[in-house]
Amino acid sequence: MSLLASAVLAAPAPTPDIPAPTIEYGLLSPMLLVFGIAVVGVLVEAFVPRAHRAAVQMPITLLGLAGAFILTIVVATQDITPASGQGWGKLAAMGSIGIDRPTLFIQGTILILALVSTFMIAERRTDEGSFTAQAAATPGSAAEREGLLAGATHTEVYPLVMFAVGGMLLFPASGDLITMFVALEVLSLPLYLLCGLARRRRLLSQEAAVKYFLLGAFSSGFFLFGAALLYGYAGSVQLGAIARAVRLGPGGQYATEVYGASGQFAQVTVGSNALLMLGVALLAVGLLFKLGAVPFQSWKPDVYQGAPTPITALMASCTLVAAFGALFRVFYVAFDGLTWEWRPMMWLIAILTMVVGAVVAVTQTDVKRLLAYSSIAHAGFILTGMIAADAAGLSSALFYLAAYGFTTIGAFAIVTLVRDAGGEAGHLSRWAGLGKRSPVIAGAFAFFLLAFAGIPLTSGFIGKFAVFQAAIAGGATPLVVVGVLSSAVAAFFYVRIIVLMFFSDPAPDGPAVVVPSVFTSAAVALGVAATLVLGVLPQSVLDLADQAASSLFVR
Amino acid sequence: MTVLAEGSYASPTGQEIVFVLLGVVTLAAAVLVVTTRRLVHAALWLVVAFGALAGCYLVMSAELVAWVQVLIYVGAVVVLLLFGIMLTRAPIGPSTDLDGANRPAAVVVAVALAGVLVTVIVDGFRTAYVPSARASSGAGSAETIGAALFRDWVLPFEALSVLLLAALIGAIVLSRREIGPAETDARRGGGEGEG
Amino acid sequence: MSTHVLAAEDLSGFGTDPWWLIVIKVLFIFVFLVLSVLLTMWAERRILGRMQLRLGPNRHGPFGLLQGLADGLKLGVKEDLVPKNVDKWVYILAPAAASAPAFISFAIMPFGPQVSIFGHQTHLQLTDLPVAVLLVLAMASMGVYGFVLAGWASGSPFALLGGLRSSAQVISYEIAMALTFVAVFLYAGTLSTSGIVDAQERLWFAVVLIPSFLIYMVTMVGETNRIPFDLPEGEGELVGGYHTEYSSMKFAMFFLAEYVNMSTVCGLSVTLFLGGWRAPAPISTIWPDANTGWWPMLWFIAKFAMVMFIFIWLRAAMPRVRYDQLMKLGWKVLIPVSIVWIIVVATMRALRNAEATTTTWLVVVGAGLAAALVALYLWDRAAEKRREAKETAKEQEFATLKAKPTAGGFPVPPLRAAHYGSAVRDALEAPRPERGTSAKEVTGA
Repeated sequence: MSLLASAVLAAPAPTPDIPAPTIEYGLLSPMLLVFGIAVVGVLVEAFVPRAHRAAVQMPITLLGLAGAFILTIVVATQDITPASGQGWGKLAAMGSIGIDRPTLFIQGTILILALVSTFMIAERRTDEGSFTAQAAATPGSAAEREGLLAGATHTEVYPLVMFAVGGMLLFPASGDLITMFVALEVLSLPLYLLCGLARRRRLLSQEAAVKYFLLGAFSSGFFLFGAALLYGYAGSVQLGAIARAVRLGPGGQYATEVYGASGQFAQVTVGSNALLMLGVALLAVGLLFKLGAVPFQSWKPDVYQGAPTPITALMASCTLVAAFGALFRVFYVAFDGLTWEWRPMMWLIAILTMVVGAVVAVTQTDVKRLLAYSSIAHAGFILTGMIAADAAGLSSALFYLAAYGFTTIGAFAIVTLVRDAGGEAGHLSRWAGLGKRSPVIAGAFAFFLLAFAGIPLTSGFIGKFAVFQAAIAGGATPLVVVGVLSSAVAAFFYVRIIVLMFFSDPAPDGPAVVVPSVFTSAAVALGVAATLVLGVLPQSVLDLADQAASSLFVR
Repeated sequence: MTVLAEGSYASPTGQEIVFVLLGVVTLAAAVLVVTTRRLVHAALWLVVAFGALAGCYLVMSAELVAWVQVLIYVGAVVVLLLFGIMLTRAPIGPSTDLDGANRPAAVVVAVALAGVLVTVIVDGFRTAYVPSARASSGAGSAETIGAALFRDWVLPFEALSVLLLAALIGAIVLSRREIGPAETDARRGGGEGEG
Repeated sequence: MSTHVLAAEDLSGFGTDPWWLIVIKVLFIFVFLVLSVLLTMWAERRILGRMQLRLGPNRHGPFGLLQGLADGLKLGVKEDLVPKNVDKWVYILAPAAASAPAFISFAIMPFGPQVSIFGHQTHLQLTDLPVAVLLVLAMASMGVYGFVLAGWASGSPFALLGGLRSSAQVISYEIAMALTFVAVFLYAGTLSTSGIVDAQERLWFAVVLIPSFLIYMVTMVGETNRIPFDLPEGEGELVGGYHTEYSSMKFAMFFLAEYVNMSTVCGLSVTLFLGGWRAPAPISTIWPDANTGWWPMLWFIAKFAMVMFIFIWLRAAMPRVRYDQLMKLGWKVLIPVSIVWIIVVATMRALRNAEATTTTWLVVVGAGLAAALVALYLWDRAAEKRREAKETAKEQEFATLKAKPTAGGFPVPPLRAAHYGSAVRDALEAPRPERGTSAKEVTGA
């Protein structure tokens, strides 16, 4: 077996001299910048007086994200040829990181969406922002009241968001399962915390954080179990090595470099298929949990509802992109030769995800829960693109993710604006007649809902079209039929809300629409613009996604 | 793979017997952790499980991992666990409210998962044999682990330090109260009334 | 670019002893520890006596040497009380859990170099591991269970508080302690104790790494719950802390654990920082054979006794600190200073490994010094600002209190009550004189 072989061949005397690892700082610069800014943010928390912290944190966070985006473009314009000589990309940092075109597209998307989400985080006009004054104070206690009176708010959210974004950048770029696991934790842990920091309805928020944390910890456990079994199978956790082992099949042998003893190679024998299958299944559980695919969706409505809305927007956009990126990388690189084995499972999950997401959404009465179920359904649509298991599927999913991210951030930004005395007016009945009071906000929200439903002239239509096209080309026509049907169900409840907003009378004590500062306005405006532009003139972004996907992931 | 022929399960060496015994201890202690009705005893059985696991590592001659296991898990994690239990509630004697209504379901899921994993691993490694004398020749030593960590795995290692920093900040956010303790508020109210 | 090869440890001399030799070594360590406990107890009482201008125990045996034995006998024949509400298993387990790990650590303590015992060439050390110092740390952290469990199982609030304090304290100080070891590892290039002693052949690490050594001296007191850090058993507040409910042999076991723990940290300080069994500097220069044969054991024990004396001296000289001060010292001073020092050491090692030129050295050292100066300046500025802010706050508070005595939240009796006389009122109403004196007047009235 693999483990033994490496043990045997690593036998010679230990060398006290460890050669330095090679790190391609240029290729890693977007991630390094984001982590660097996060650390600077921590220092700001330590040394800047409380009154000035928000004013310092916000610009450096925005600049950091923008800078990282520019660095991503700089990396993408370079000419990088992999060791195999074909395609574009490179395994960097001793094989821990794979930098290639799809990864850069995903990272760029994450950075832009994180930037827009940060606009929402920076908003201070709605209720002094969305974050609690003192997380440590018991909800309803005198200490909490004093914190609120002092006008405090946790500025630690900026570094925490940066840590999470850094993890999200690392997650889809991981070249091996260990790095991927670490990245999963780096992106999850700050999010667990951020979920518990809502300013209003503290208990709901804390409950969301605990639920997310417990279920997330379980899913991490599944991921690790899967990684361990795959190591037992392939004798390596490198995605490329697993792919090689899959091609060789049980009993096949290949040489791999021994960790910690450079220049030595061990002969590895590929293990039994049972290890592989269970490994794939457990790894998939860990990854599918993060995107909220059915049957691992149960955390999503509760967490989306309880979390501060800017963080919900961040999770609904950036985390989804990162999780899909990692899922694509694992299944396109490591389990490339297994497509026939994992496809039926993904079929089932995609169908369940679309149907459950759409049908349960119909019964929702809270706007954030509704958007959560809508996000579940959309994850199902993107999964249909993945089932094609080719460049077209990848390209359509990349486009879908970018388009959906902007739309969902815009929708959540509007949720923060419709407020009454208790904070955000979550219950849908409170939204009745909003179109008559503030037609602009209601119009923008209606536009986002139409995009979610996939009505033409919105980005949602183009995204769905691309995904379904790829799925049909990949031979998954029944799946597309299910997708179209659940889109129709989903369209029903989106239209119902539009009717509610525009064709019913406003309640006399209905919620007011807060006039936001430039930040939330920018988030909404960018959301509308992106939804419209990607719906009317999608070609340039479609081309970019095609170009990114055509060279596939580096191995 | 000539190595595989050198030993077999038919004639176990002393180390192998110790390994199996330690495994049994780990398992038994782990079962006791979830079945005992005394909160603090559960933590103590966890210590036994972690300790026996460290013993397993030692038998496999992974010295560094073994002592780090003792140092971190036995020495810090469970002590903090006990610390937490004792700060909140640590009744002497059995607690009656430790079991939820979902206990049977949890048992079924746990047993099923364990069954699947054990089956797969036994099936996957049935023919594998690790000669422990060979394994002790450096694969688990501090040098090898250090070299692997700081060369091949340097990036995940550094990312882990970022994770720890994030966790640290998070812990401070969740626990540190900087503005106005609750008690002074009540007292001040009383003082105002009198003035 | 070549790399300095660090002292690669050679542990081939270990693990080859015949069984009888191992038994002899184990017995020796046990006897050594028990004797050192008895003698330390005696020495402690004698030295404390001297320092407090009294005699100390001098009745049993010559100079009272047998006092420890007498105390032990007395404890042994005392009635063994087990309170009613205890968790019996844990209550009995705790004293053993406290003392057993303390003994284990000594297995890797090098008493001397290779000697010949009955024709066998062997090290004066039970065994050595490539990660020996980790074993000591692991055992130190295991020892805390004894205290925590004793505190909990007793079913007494004093004991519980003592146990909680002990666990928090030992874990906090262990971090700082482990950080001081890192600098030693960086210099020695090994974690094995014999390797570390070998690496100090030319210069003690206490000299090279003086900040580490000083921090270690502080943490070793914290780690063993000794004065001035004996909060877990602070008799002024907690009766006896975690061992409040223990008596007879079980109490003796805790006593033993405390003193064996002291021996362990003393032995470790000798091994890691004070050159181990090597003779102190002038002796080995004049007398080349000082480091061979059985002599090194003498040097080891002499150094050991010296460090033990410091423990006793501290007890005589220091008051007990407050718990928050203890934690502040551990987390806000010792740990950050250790980390900064490790970075400095690592930089120096890296420069050495890279065979840096003098210019590089000067630049790096200069930059470091400049950074330190800037940091100090900023620190001073910040401290001054804080002081000023505090002064203004105090003045403001005084002003508000003067205007309205109840504003501070204190239930103040009405000032014009008949029995108060007029002094207070006059002081408050008179035009305010110099700052500082007015406060005295008000309170003094």
